[in-house]
Amino acid sequence: MAASDKKILTRLYVVAGGLFLFACVVVFKLVSIQMVNGEKYRDLAEKRTTKMFTIAPNRGNLISDDGSLLATSVSRYTIRFDAVTVKKEDFQENIKPLSAKLSELLGKPTSHYQQILRKAKANKNRYTLIARNLDYSDYMEVKKFPLFNKGPYKGGLIVEQKTVREHPLGKIAERSVGYENVDENGYYSGVGLERAFGEYLRGIEGKRLKQKIAKGQWKPIGWDNIVEPKDGYDLISTIDINIQDIAHHALLGQLEKYKADHGSVIVMERETGEVKAISNLGITKEGKYYERLNYAIGESHEPGSTFKLMNLVAALEDKIIDTSSVKDTGKGSWKIYRHRVKDTKHGGHGKISMAKAFEVSSNVAFAQMVHEGYKEKPSRYVNRLMSMNLGKEIGLPIKGEGKPLIRYPGDKGWSGLSLAQMAYGYEVSMTPLQTLTFYNAIANDGVMVKPRMIKEVKEWNKTIQKFDKEIINPSVCSRETAKQVQQLLKNVVEKKHGTGHRMYSPNFSMAGKTGTAQKNYQDKTSDKFGYISTFAGYFPADEPKYSCIVVIHEPDKSVGYYGADVSGPVFKSIAQKVYATSPLVDEVDMFQAKYAGLDNAYQEYFAEAQKKHSKVPNVKGMSGMDAVSILENLGLQVEIKGNGKVKKQSVSHGTDIKKSKKIVLELS
Amino acid sequence: MLALFKNINGDKALWAVVALLGLFSFLPVYSASSNLVYVVGNGTPIGHLVKHAVFLIFGFGIIYGIHRIPTHFFKGLSLIAMPIVIVLLVITLFQGSSVDGTNASRWIRLPFVKFQTSTLAAVVLMIYVARYLTKIKDEAINFKESIVPLWLPVFAVVGLILPANFSTAGIIFTMVLVLCFIGGYPFKYLMGIVGSGLLALTFFILVAKAFPDAFANRVDTWENRFENFMNGEDTEADYQIEKAKIAIATGGIVGKGAGKSVQKNFLPQSSSDFIYAIIVEEYGLVGGVVLMLFFLFLLFRIVVIANGSPTTFGTLLALAVGLPIIFQAMINMAVAVELFPVTGQNLPLISSGGTSAWMTCLAIGIVLSVSNKQHRKSKSNLNINETNPLEILSGQL
Repeated sequence: MAASDKKILTRLYVVAGGLFLFACVVVFKLVSIQMVNGEKYRDLAEKRTTKMFTIAPNRGNLISDDGSLLATSVSRYTIRFDAVTVKKEDFQENIKPLSAKLSELLGKPTSHYQQILRKAKANKNRYTLIARNLDYSDYMEVKKFPLFNKGPYKGGLIVEQKTVREHPLGKIAERSVGYENVDENGYYSGVGLERAFGEYLRGIEGKRLKQKIAKGQWKPIGWDNIVEPKDGYDLISTIDINIQDIAHHALLGQLEKYKADHGSVIVMERETGEVKAISNLGITKEGKYYERLNYAIGESHEPGSTFKLMNLVAALEDKIIDTSSVKDTGKGSWKIYRHRVKDTKHGGHGKISMAKAFEVSSNVAFAQMVHEGYKEKPSRYVNRLMSMNLGKEIGLPIKGEGKPLIRYPGDKGWSGLSLAQMAYGYEVSMTPLQTLTFYNAIANDGVMVKPRMIKEVKEWNKTIQKFDKEIINPSVCSRETAKQVQQLLKNVVEKKHGTGHRMYSPNFSMAGKTGTAQKNYQDKTSDKFGYISTFAGYFPADEPKYSCIVVIHEPDKSVGYYGADVSGPVFKSIAQKVYATSPLVDEVDMFQAKYAGLDNAYQEYFAEAQKKHSKVPNVKGMSGMDAVSILENLGLQVEIKGNGKVKKQSVSHGTDIKKSKKIVLELS
Repeated sequence: MLALFKNINGDKALWAVVALLGLFSFLPVYSASSNLVYVVGNGTPIGHLVKHAVFLIFGFGIIYGIHRIPTHFFKGLSLIAMPIVIVLLVITLFQGSSVDGTNASRWIRLPFVKFQTSTLAAVVLMIYVARYLTKIKDEAINFKESIVPLWLPVFAVVGLILPANFSTAGIIFTMVLVLCFIGGYPFKYLMGIVGSGLLALTFFILVAKAFPDAFANRVDTWENRFENFMNGEDTEADYQIEKAKIAIATGGIVGKGAGKSVQKNFLPQSSSDFIYAIIVEEYGLVGGVVLMLFFLFLLFRIVVIANGSPTTFGTLLALAVGLPIIFQAMINMAVAVELFPVTGQNLPLISSGGTSAWMTCLAIGIVLSVSNKQHRKSKSNLNINETNPLEILSGQL
């Protein structure tokens, strides 16, 4: 007998018990995976299946003073074609209409696109370039083209979006607007305002946790972003597009004319220090000019004669000299130690006042003034220059400001000649912006304001931060000194003997100082030897609105190199155009036809009105209007009857005004 | 409809467990469908749900139909079905649909569905063995005598399944051994059979290795999977196991919630082989243990039903078809927790397994038939009435 029912049951319990035990082991293993190795696998899960994605914020706009966009971020689309994913029939059917459409949009002939597409299909190219950097509206068009409208899988359309920085106004002030890049380590680099104010423009990256659902496919977890992206703030620049445009083109024209190496212009609002225009143009190998480096801010060089202003102010402040003090410049050459200081005027200026010496830019007079005035105590001179903030950087937010150089006695490079050299702008070094800042301070009666290029940081219409006028030095010199030199600066242009007189225009006024510095003068025969032509000043000459500096490096010597010739015209055309476009200074002479009767009547009225009356005048025969105005100006109450000329006056002439109060005029 | 409910007989607890598991199965199937739809790009979520519902309704139809069949009919039915099954297996094996050189011929294509013959063969074979054990229970067992009526069909079925589906063959063979053990087949003979079984397997593998191109087989796949389980190299199966473990670990005590599984997107067999891992991920340790308890309760009811059966055949039949369900469930869960190498066994009643789910329903129906007291009332009649042609047929063999 094989099996009794009882035996079957016993064995069944063994098997069932075994299964139960097995179940227990499974549950035990389950718990062990969760508890013992749980951490490890949960970490793995996180690592493998979730990832923090960043959402790029929109970079803020850079806006000019008048609300034009200087720099803004836009999306650009690159279109590529995957020839493999497209079905053969679809391809054959659509290649012609697609090529036609592409040709229509992108310009090249239909056959060109047909060829590209067929080649891609034949070579099984999955990443054929069709068009680069399309804007949004073109991209939307392309999406609707035959074949491409079937989408990425059936139509083979590959779209790559990227955000680029656009300058809607073109290359104007490109270098000052600048750019900013970020590398993979999050390190920012760049130049100009974009870099200097990058922290405002950048915004804050958003974060979103996403979960992997398949290779290359991620779905967002949860409803909200972990960190909402915050768009960058808008920057309102002080740059005025109109002035910038004028400055840019005036400089460009002059650089081209003089085949100069490079040049820069800065226009600054006198009162506030707002930089209205800043243009830097350098030459390429092909002889074209573009915004190459920020020379205006970064390039420190020997200023030459524009530095005479600083010396004159220093000497006046130290009471070493007066504008009327006379210096004997002799024949235009003065020997100091073994060095000769020369004037440009052949034959010299003879005995001239310091005022004239400034206006004619006499090197001899200035060398004498500084050398003789300070040779006993050269440090007094340097300290004076320093007290006028000349040895210090302005401290701009833009990186790369050039360092000014003013040596102290005893410093390396200082010699007995130094005072005489510094007198006309050598052995010192300044950037155009630093020079301009000083000229602006003079125009501002001694108050030195800090140049600035950003007015305001905004988030839509909300102001986040305002950059107000900053005063570097409330008084670089006394008001009197400032007034004195202002007159001289005006004379430079106005007086016939002034170095800037060639710029003179009777229609508007300018004040400033020319400078023609030599560059690389160690060997005057070398190719490198050249000139730096400068004009620094302000306009209008009285109550100036803007200060401006023009610096042009290495003009072609055969064309010209004097500051007044090379840089002066740029200054002038800026002053002229700003003047012409500024409604405040427009004056129009009214043209009036001569009319004898009217003239006589006016003369009569004018004569009467000019007289000082103590008695009631005779107004009989005058026009009612004139009579009323004369009498009322005398404090009388006038009542008129009728119109026309005065026929009768109720108070006869010769009556004391004080006694009469009311006068009735009968007109006919 | 009411009549239909009136005619529901048998163990009510078993009905309840099966119905609950069936209802519950919609959740993981629906959850897993998101992977199929959105990642694989196959069908729609509702489509997968409807398909599952249709399969389940058919399945319950099978349960209902089978449980109305009197228990002793199965003796004869198994005798008739046995040769048919063997023919079907031969057809399946040699229809030659192989995937990349490995034999994936597990299915016969029928209109609308693929039919996995091995699952039907398993049920039929188990009934056949139960019948044989019942028949010889009062006799002294002679090994030689049992070779032809018992082991020949067993080896035929297992041998035909083996090349395409090692794990199913292994499970069937194991279940046959367990059933023989319970049915009182001498232990020493069983050891001999195990030995010869292993010998046959070794022979098969050696032949397959020696002549790799002789016939399509999956020896290399088994080898990979097994080696994988034994050492810890980075392979496809490791990837699956790691994902399963991540699923279990991230599920925690109470789980992420229905449908919120992450790993379903990465586990290739998230709706069948690794469904237990996904269930734990979504319903936590609690859900996993409760599901396990459900299967243990199912085991308990099967034991109770086997115990309560007045006939030895009834007892053995309930165990013959009932135990494999539990066994298969245990294997499936064990794979998910890395107690077992990756096999490819469904979780019975839960996975969206198609026709194999129907075979589970067939088995459940048979167990319910055993528990059906209505059959017992008429049993006395049938004992007298030996005119049942099938009974006579079975007696002659």
